Amino acid sequence: MTELLGWVPLFPFLGFLTLVLAGGRLFKPLIAWIGIGSVGISALLVCLIGVDFLNGTVPFYRLLLGSWIAMDDLSAPFGFYLDALSMTMLFVVAGVGFLIHVYSAGFMESDPGYARFFAYMNLFVSAMLVLVLADNLVLLYLGWEGVGLGSYLLIGFWYEDPNNGYAARKAFVMTRIGDTAMALGLFLLFTQLHTFDIQSLMRLATGQWAPGTLLPVASAALLLGGAVGKSAQLPLQTWLPDAMAGPTPVSALIHAATMVTAGVYLIARTHDLFLLAPAVQFAVAVIGTITLLIAGCAALAQTDIKRILAYSTISQIGYMFLALGVGAWSAAIFHLLTHAFFKALLFLAAGAVIYCFHHEHNIFKMGGLRKAMPLTFWSFIIGGAALSALPFTSGFYSKHEILLEAYAASPGLWAAGCLGALITGIYSFRLIFVVFFGTQSRTIEKGLGLSMSVPLLLLAILALFGGVLQIPLDSVFPVNPASSDALTLVSVITIAAPFFGLLIAVLFYLTHTFSSQRFANYGWARPVRKLFLSGWGFDALYDGLLVQPFTSIARLNKNDIVDRLYLALAWLGRELHRMISAAQTGRVRWYASSLVLGTVAVIALGLLS
Amino acid sequence: MNINQLVALAPIITLSAAAIAVMLAIAIRRNFILISGIAACGIIASLLVLGIAWQESPVQATSLIRIDEYALFFMALLLLTGLAVLGFCHDYFKNREGENEELPLLLLTALLGALVLVASSHFAAFFLGLEMLSISLFALISYPLNQTRSLEAAIKYLILSGASSAFLLMGMALIYSQSGELTFSGIGRFIEIRPAMNIMILSGVMLILAGVGFKLSLVPFHLWTPDVYQGAPAPITAFIATVSKGAVFVLLLRFFISTNSYAYTPLLTVFSAIAVLSIMGGNLLALLQTNVKRLLAYSSIAHMGYLLVAFIAGGSIAPALAVESVTFYLVAYFITTIGAFGVVSVLSISQAEAGEISLYRGLFWRKPWLAVIFTLMLLSLAGIPLTAGFIGKFYIFTSGADGRLWGLLLAVIAGSGLGLYYYLRIIVVMSMSIDVAENEPEASSNGWVSIVTLAVLSMLLVCFGIYPNYLVAIIQFVSYSAR
Repeated sequence: MTELLGWVPLFPFLGFLTLVLAGGRLFKPLIAWIGIGSVGISALLVCLIGVDFLNGTVPFYRLLLGSWIAMDDLSAPFGFYLDALSMTMLFVVAGVGFLIHVYSAGFMESDPGYARFFAYMNLFVSAMLVLVLADNLVLLYLGWEGVGLGSYLLIGFWYEDPNNGYAARKAFVMTRIGDTAMALGLFLLFTQLHTFDIQSLMRLATGQWAPGTLLPVASAALLLGGAVGKSAQLPLQTWLPDAMAGPTPVSALIHAATMVTAGVYLIARTHDLFLLAPAVQFAVAVIGTITLLIAGCAALAQTDIKRILAYSTISQIGYMFLALGVGAWSAAIFHLLTHAFFKALLFLAAGAVIYCFHHEHNIFKMGGLRKAMPLTFWSFIIGGAALSALPFTSGFYSKHEILLEAYAASPGLWAAGCLGALITGIYSFRLIFVVFFGTQSRTIEKGLGLSMSVPLLLLAILALFGGVLQIPLDSVFPVNPASSDALTLVSVITIAAPFFGLLIAVLFYLTHTFSSQRFANYGWARPVRKLFLSGWGFDALYDGLLVQPFTSIARLNKNDIVDRLYLALAWLGRELHRMISAAQTGRVRWYASSLVLGTVAVIALGLLS
Repeated sequence: MNINQLVALAPIITLSAAAIAVMLAIAIRRNFILISGIAACGIIASLLVLGIAWQESPVQATSLIRIDEYALFFMALLLLTGLAVLGFCHDYFKNREGENEELPLLLLTALLGALVLVASSHFAAFFLGLEMLSISLFALISYPLNQTRSLEAAIKYLILSGASSAFLLMGMALIYSQSGELTFSGIGRFIEIRPAMNIMILSGVMLILAGVGFKLSLVPFHLWTPDVYQGAPAPITAFIATVSKGAVFVLLLRFFISTNSYAYTPLLTVFSAIAVLSIMGGNLLALLQTNVKRLLAYSSIAHMGYLLVAFIAGGSIAPALAVESVTFYLVAYFITTIGAFGVVSVLSISQAEAGEISLYRGLFWRKPWLAVIFTLMLLSLAGIPLTAGFIGKFYIFTSGADGRLWGLLLAVIAGSGLGLYYYLRIIVVMSMSIDVAENEPEASSNGWVSIVTLAVLSMLLVCFGIYPNYLVAIIQFVSYSAR
């Protein structure tokens, strides 16, 4: 079965090509069949390959499809590499991707850009599959940029509104900053080790470089730059909340389940390199911790349903970075998997609310939907529980593992993680209580079709029971020895943290024992709330630090000083043309005398020189 | 004269015979298509005979003419060009009122002059060939007698050409008075003995340069070019731009190499000055020109300037490389120029020449294939890759850089930049949308002969641009025979 691996990214790509070339002329159900079917076939293949691979005994499988770039000692073939890590990613990308595609058929039903939407989605899935399967860094980079392109196209999908275009550009530019660092990392690795093949690179790096020396630190730091940009971690996190301008299935697929976790995947894939650079690995943990805290706080103050989820995504990826930083590789990937389930569920459920509310995003204009939308309500309950890591949900198993391993590495990081868990509990249930409890503000006339409710149901099951899915990642990662002996007290606090959060949410938003309004209007709370609402003012900071100076320089150069030179050249050309054109009088007298003058001049020049 | 020499001269003899045959045919029956056919057969026969002459070469046939691979290669090029021009003339004149039958005859005599020019090794042959070419051209330019513009152009060309021939003859006389030689090899021997050039010889060479410079429309002698290009019928303009200029340039190169005039640095200084002036002047004059025929006239001035760069480089690099560069550039220039004027010719109705750029507006929508061909030709003139023009320009740069002619190369770069502006302008105009009420010119005389010729030219253009190796191999072989 594994030899069919090459077809996995190909089918969505063919779907993309078909839809792009013929999409406008196709009949609507056919578009859906092509768009969903291509990803569906890939998902089916992934399942077959997965069963084969998990039952087999080989730790990895390689497939060489053909040569792509080959010159001198540089070679970057179309080669795929399948191990437990890429298998996990395949399940996420193809499986969750397929469910989201099915959901989109209902959600985008009345959109005029139906074919365009599925074409972009297919392109994205195809690129993401290439990213996770690539056996060399150049092919990985192709997928990496491909998903960036897909993300850009889909954030700006409703391009008539200039704000959406702005959000798309912002996402593209911010991630490009990280990508530049990553490209430099690739160049550095190649110039030092003369290969792009990931496995050989890791082997060579471990063999040739001493831990903590400049080369591994520099290359790991550069790769981290790419990961930080793609995964919306500090300091490049500002694009993700704005990326919510795209259609909700896009946010679910790209900005929650798959693309934003590519950074986590990259670090996990090159973990040998990070092990050689302990300082950078620690930086990963610190970045993750700070990000999870500030993003969690920002989520507390948001009123837009999708922005809450966006900040929670940043925060959850922060947990994954924390796990990577403390060497809990398997836990990071496990959290990636469960996060894909419950965050996709939450986004799709949010999409259902938005769909029924005619694109209303403000949670305070909703309320009391518990009765009107039972399926959505229960999806939110399950998703929220898993997000806050309440026991027995999938999120609990993964996050618990991360926090315990963080404690083993550094109690400080663990404490911050627990505080984050508390905050997660607050904002998750704040969202649920505000939207689904209280008085119902509006009647719902639109119901959810089958294509939207079935994916919700399946994702809810996965979010609830996904914790039992344990893909054996031991063949990929070194086993962390410190994880076994955890203190009971630590465990208890870890489990209790989200419950405290839940309790606070109940008191403020369900029973209204404390008024959140009054609380927010206290002297010191008001600026804090404003700070949280603006996502800690990073946008303003970057605006003042980078954008304003740049635009003022641009304004200074409004009349294009450099261009003056070229304008002068053009002017000179025109003037000279005019001057010598005057000689073309059309009179034979003048022509003949010029012939004589020219001859005299030529003889004179010849004699003088 | 032995049989050997006779065989070597066979292409020229065949073409002369064809001219006589055409003359007799006109006397018997006036039919333009028939006469054109006979002329075409004559050219093809001459081409076939070239193959036989190739076996015999190199041959010094009398002291006047030297038939070597260099001469034969250019004869072939000129004959093929003549054939293409004949094809365009056929479509251009076939529907015209009046007597057109002498046109093929005049083309044949002009070609004959050009063949003699490229093979001459003696001042007499040089002058005879040049005059045969020029006198035929006077008649060809003024062939549409009812058009004042053509007549005006012919008279201008007649007067100025006469004056320049006088300079030429005076120059030859001055050289003869000092050296007592009229053959190129004899002059070469004289120069070898007396390396310092005296004022008489120098003045003589300069006067010849003035005469040749007029034919090549190099800058101080260029004023006639746009008027004549514009006035002449489009196929004849193509003939002037290619056959007439090419043959004279080939002769100039042979003269320099066989007399070893490169030894005189003052000559190179003068040539450098002329090259820079021609490149800059031609391009600047073309810059805002709105008549396509005048624009191509100015651009041909610039192209002769580019050619001079490779020519001058012959003084400091191996002459074979200079010859190779000049030859390749000439081939590319011939194909491109014939193609460009061919398009103009196809678009021209015999009564109104398609000169004004406004007539080209929206050509991409009206006649897409013609527009594509014209675009190809313009891109080749501009020296854009994938066309033969690019390889030609690359040769110019290579020989210029090898000869360390940095100043000249700077002029080539500046000129190419200016050139791109006006070539692209035509392409832009062609791609503009057509106004609704634009009264479209009637489906003009686009005969199949022109279309086939244009298609072949475009194919050659792209083939030599992408895969020049075969042509380069031939040219390299030819270059080493140049003496």
